[in-house]
Amino acid sequence: MNRLTQLPTLRINPAKTLPFTYREKKYQGMSGDTVAVALYSNGVRIFSKSTRYHRPRGLYSLDGECGNCLMEVDGLPNIQAETSLLRGGMTINPQNIKSFEKDSGPDKVDPAGFDYQKFHKPYKMWPYFLKRIRNAAGLGVVSPSFRMKGLFDEQYLNAEVCVIGGGPAGILAALAAAEQGLRVILLEARPWLGGCSDYRSAEYTPGVALYSRARELAKAVEDTPNVRVFSHTFMTGLYADNHVTAFQIGAQGDHFNERYMEIRAESVIAATGCIERPLLFENNDLPGIMQASCAHRLARTYGLLPGERAIFSVGHDLGIEAAIDLSDLGLPILCVADCRPDVQDPRLIKELTERGIPFMPGWVVSKAEGGKSLEKVTLTTIEGIRHHAVECDTLVASADLTPAAGPLFMSGAKMEYDFHTGFFLPGQLPPKVHAAGRLIGLYDPFSIEASGHLAGLNAAKDCGASVDALLKTAQKEIGRLPGPARGSKWMLPPSVSLNRDIVEKIFICLDEDTTVKHIDQAYNMGFDTVELMKRFTGAGTGPGQGGISGHNLPLVISRYHSDSVMPTLPGTVRPPLVPSFLATYSGRSRDMVKRTPLHESGKAAGALFQRERVWKHARYFSDDFTCREEIENVRGNVGVTDVSALGKFRIFGPDAVNALQRVYVGNMSDIPVGKVRYSAMCNEDGRLIDLGVVTKRGEEDYYFTTTADRADSAMEWIRYHTRYDQWNFHIVNLTDAFAAINLAGPNSRELLRKITDADISGDAFPFMACRTFALRRETSRDSETSNVSDISAIPVRVMRLGFVGELSYEIHAPASLAESLWDLLMEAGRDFGIRPFGSEALDALRLEKGHVIIGRESETRTTLHDLGLGFLWDEEHAGISTVGVPPLKFTRYQTGRLRLVGFKTEDPSRAPRDGSIIVEKTIRGYVCTARYSFTLKEAIGLALVESRLAKKGTRLQIFEDGMKKDERLYATVVSTPFLRSVDG
Amino acid sequence: MESYQRRSPVSFTSRMAESVRRDGWEVALRYHDEGKGPFLIDLSHRPKWDIQDADLSGIRPMGIPVSEVPGECIFQNGFLLNRMNQTQAALWHLSGESPKMPREFLYTDVTDGYALLSVIGKEMFFIMEKISASDLSSPTKKPPFLIQGPVSQVPCQIVVLGENEGYFGLLIACVRGYAQSMTEAILDSGVEWGLRPAGENIFCNWLEPLSA
Amino acid sequence: MSLTITCPICGKRNGYEFRFGGEDRGPRPDEKGMSPQEWCDYVHNRANIAGVQKEWWCHRDGCGSWFTIRRDTVTNLEIEN
Repeated sequence: MNRLTQLPTLRINPAKTLPFTYREKKYQGMSGDTVAVALYSNGVRIFSKSTRYHRPRGLYSLDGECGNCLMEVDGLPNIQAETSLLRGGMTINPQNIKSFEKDSGPDKVDPAGFDYQKFHKPYKMWPYFLKRIRNAAGLGVVSPSFRMKGLFDEQYLNAEVCVIGGGPAGILAALAAAEQGLRVILLEARPWLGGCSDYRSAEYTPGVALYSRARELAKAVEDTPNVRVFSHTFMTGLYADNHVTAFQIGAQGDHFNERYMEIRAESVIAATGCIERPLLFENNDLPGIMQASCAHRLARTYGLLPGERAIFSVGHDLGIEAAIDLSDLGLPILCVADCRPDVQDPRLIKELTERGIPFMPGWVVSKAEGGKSLEKVTLTTIEGIRHHAVECDTLVASADLTPAAGPLFMSGAKMEYDFHTGFFLPGQLPPKVHAAGRLIGLYDPFSIEASGHLAGLNAAKDCGASVDALLKTAQKEIGRLPGPARGSKWMLPPSVSLNRDIVEKIFICLDEDTTVKHIDQAYNMGFDTVELMKRFTGAGTGPGQGGISGHNLPLVISRYHSDSVMPTLPGTVRPPLVPSFLATYSGRSRDMVKRTPLHESGKAAGALFQRERVWKHARYFSDDFTCREEIENVRGNVGVTDVSALGKFRIFGPDAVNALQRVYVGNMSDIPVGKVRYSAMCNEDGRLIDLGVVTKRGEEDYYFTTTADRADSAMEWIRYHTRYDQWNFHIVNLTDAFAAINLAGPNSRELLRKITDADISGDAFPFMACRTFALRRETSRDSETSNVSDISAIPVRVMRLGFVGELSYEIHAPASLAESLWDLLMEAGRDFGIRPFGSEALDALRLEKGHVIIGRESETRTTLHDLGLGFLWDEEHAGISTVGVPPLKFTRYQTGRLRLVGFKTEDPSRAPRDGSIIVEKTIRGYVCTARYSFTLKEAIGLALVESRLAKKGTRLQIFEDGMKKDERLYATVVSTPFLRSVDG
Repeated sequence: MESYQRRSPVSFTSRMAESVRRDGWEVALRYHDEGKGPFLIDLSHRPKWDIQDADLSGIRPMGIPVSEVPGECIFQNGFLLNRMNQTQAALWHLSGESPKMPREFLYTDVTDGYALLSVIGKEMFFIMEKISASDLSSPTKKPPFLIQGPVSQVPCQIVVLGENEGYFGLLIACVRGYAQSMTEAILDSGVEWGLRPAGENIFCNWLEPLSA
Repeated sequence: MSLTITCPICGKRNGYEFRFGGEDRGPRPDEKGMSPQEWCDYVHNRANIAGVQKEWWCHRDGCGSWFTIRRDTVTNLEIEN
């Protein structure tokens, strides 16, 4: 197809051609083409077939206001061809066209909401019909194994002013705010600035065309340092506090395909301009029918004439201007009909006459005809008396403009119907939200610019700039410029009488194939408001999201309410205004995970890591996931494991003891230096939420540990429960500052003795004691380091605790020295055959001891007493002001609770799966953890069961997921610990 | 003679060109191919002390007065003192000979508890705005200032240090466990700007004029 | 999704940086002589008004402070001072 390559308004590079494939044939497009334009330039006229009735659809808005041009591009479905730039090598395919030869789908158009009414009585038939309907009517296909390609990331911006829309109004607004020294962000959906002026050759000032002015303004704002311009960026949402969301499409060479943006601005200006309100007439959806700015921009922006024989049926001056310009560019125009009997700009009428183009004021198209595309148009006078049929292949049809007011609706502005323009305009804007340009009905270029300038100053004033004098001048200026244009308000051809036998196929929504007849049927069924009508008929709920139907729907409905003069408002506008990929919203999806200070040591020792909440933790040290050797080594020798994820805290100050006593149920007031107190935290339901040890470092100075899961919330918890007390205490989170290693096994003391001078004999360092000393290689004990900047020994705090039931030491050391400590222990333990063990082995070992893990052996209601840990509660010192104590009092002797018991299975070789349920006729409890114990050579477990079944010797029936209905595993309740532990 | 090595939680794949041993740390002074910026520097080895007291106004840690307002910082004698809230301040030693922490009640040594990274470059704000929503270039704040908020979803202390010859400098402190994830997140965000690891020398050279 | 909360230490921030601590009910009551039912009521039941309430928030991703704000539960907007 011939293209106009010399126009100054072109946004393509004719010298650079891009190859692409469409329906397996090769074609060429030009750099700068959108996918839709490239296809159009190669003669494609049918882009898709509509969702329900498979009617052929073509290029209509050029902006993606409807789903006509959704195509499959490079394997990705539902790509908006009108806004996607062509890339060399693209593979493009139509989506739901089964046959290009057949004209259209069912001849008779089904009534409104038919799929809500048919196909589901009897209800069991619905799945059958659902499958068929989905196959017949749908857009795009994606396979379950689909993986999104490309780079998606995100950006968080802060500015004083955010301007949405980069036409003349938006640019002037940005410049006005920037001049006051404010940070401004300007978003523009097209890949270039300029808006409606970008492609128009009409005069701005004598000798200066609108497109020249647009380019001049664009350069000015791009050169302004405190304005950040984002083009090819679609605003999607506006939320409370002027929080704007958007996404940007990456240009060639950018580091992203799409980038999600969140902007926080003090003040927001909407200058998003207008789209077009479609004309309603019979067969208004045929390929060959397009909006005025679509036809105009095809030629001016992309160098393509829309057709060979064109008719214009418009309702606004921009439509006439488009006809004049297109005629000059070579489009044969048979006539220009204008549904307005008068009010046109006389200069435009003169120009039409000069070109010999018949001008027909008071005429409008009432019917279009054609098979696969437009062949004939019938025009009628607005009273419906005279008719005139013309053969043509292109119909440029537009009732009027309509403001792209999505941002204003979302801002919560009170929108009202304006009788002069026929637009829905903001009656009152919320504070710090402003509107400018065509969006508020203006048409005169100077008015548009002045309104932008005024909005920018108002926004600057919101941000504290002193602009009162400038504002006064700007308001005066705007006062003497032309106001908004009178709208055409044209609705339906006279042949269409609502509430009578309406002709079919007047489409009010292209995406959902909703016709005016459907509206009529729905209204007569009782769906008489926009919100009900929209949902029942589907109008506006498709990919275009009301771009086509949004303005016409409330106007049509208002015609039914004869007693009301005021048209109802359009339906609620919700984000996103423009659809995008899920990948865009998920962005970079970085996995932020914590690694312990011993991560590298574990890796070097062959650990297999697993994600445990926020941590990457060493779970296994071999391929044997039963961890048999690791377990047996701890029981018989000595093993070492990383417990660095434990929460560790320093709490100090005159009220440190009070704070501890508020949250711990043990006695915090008499912890002697050198000993640890094992204690529990409960919540206000008495539920056990944490277990840890508390030790005294010095006067009013304590060090306590928590489980790994509670490390992040312990400080929050303590501060929350002391928030009214005004106590003087301080907490430092040392979880990450210290590594912790559990050295466990009968040989652990021997090993430790090799690497320290401290007296760690059983008397000097008893169970539940805490000591601080230093560790170093035995060979260096007598030498001293000469270099003061070197670390000659590793300072440690060691606690003798018994989580795994052997002689064991929990060694806390500075995190930076963790790897050195690990190496030291492994080296010193070489003669013993020391082995590392991971969290799976740790789990099995503690199970043998009957130790609970919170969340495994407890659920939301499990109290301290349910777990047999009531002894941790010191009733004298932890009184009613300690969190958890009142419910502990209340539930202590309560019947009907689940209690923790130990059990051994009757078949010693088989442990039930964790989570298996314990049953009689109904569920009586569940298995928390069960393992085959290598030490005891039988299967053991812990379970929560109803107290009735908690007596020693009770036979438990266990049902595992996947068992046959009557199959069971049997176990006997035994006392715990299963293993007699070394320490008390 | 025995000497135990300290390890930073941050590791770069770049090759070290020059290093120095300090208090058990192997401090990278310079890497090969550091480029001209932007730079990512690991300062996790620098001393960091937590200071808490009911009345901070009377305290002068290392002789430096604590700012009245949370979020304000004072940089003096190589020390950066950040006022965090009513009762807490953080003292980081950024350059020079490492001092010994006073053995006082209100001090806690948290050097090992935090990874400390610095981003220095003309594009520093562009790199940060992809991983943090905090308003780091706010015109109402005067560097050096502290923002406590998330970076790539991890709570951090962010200090905007200032500017030197068009290069903006920033510090990020997060708990040690997240160091590797945080480093990867920053490097990933900086790919489009050519962000590369650099040694302590670049940081100290950049910082020097700000100490005056 | 865009609720902003003003932390007394850090200023106005995105609501996701915070953890909600419930409506303000004052310090824990003197539980002497309280029945289990009354205790359960205190722990679990709330006034849950449609209007402005005083409530606790923790700046979990920031300074970690616990503080109160007044928020209109109908508009889900913080009442700024």
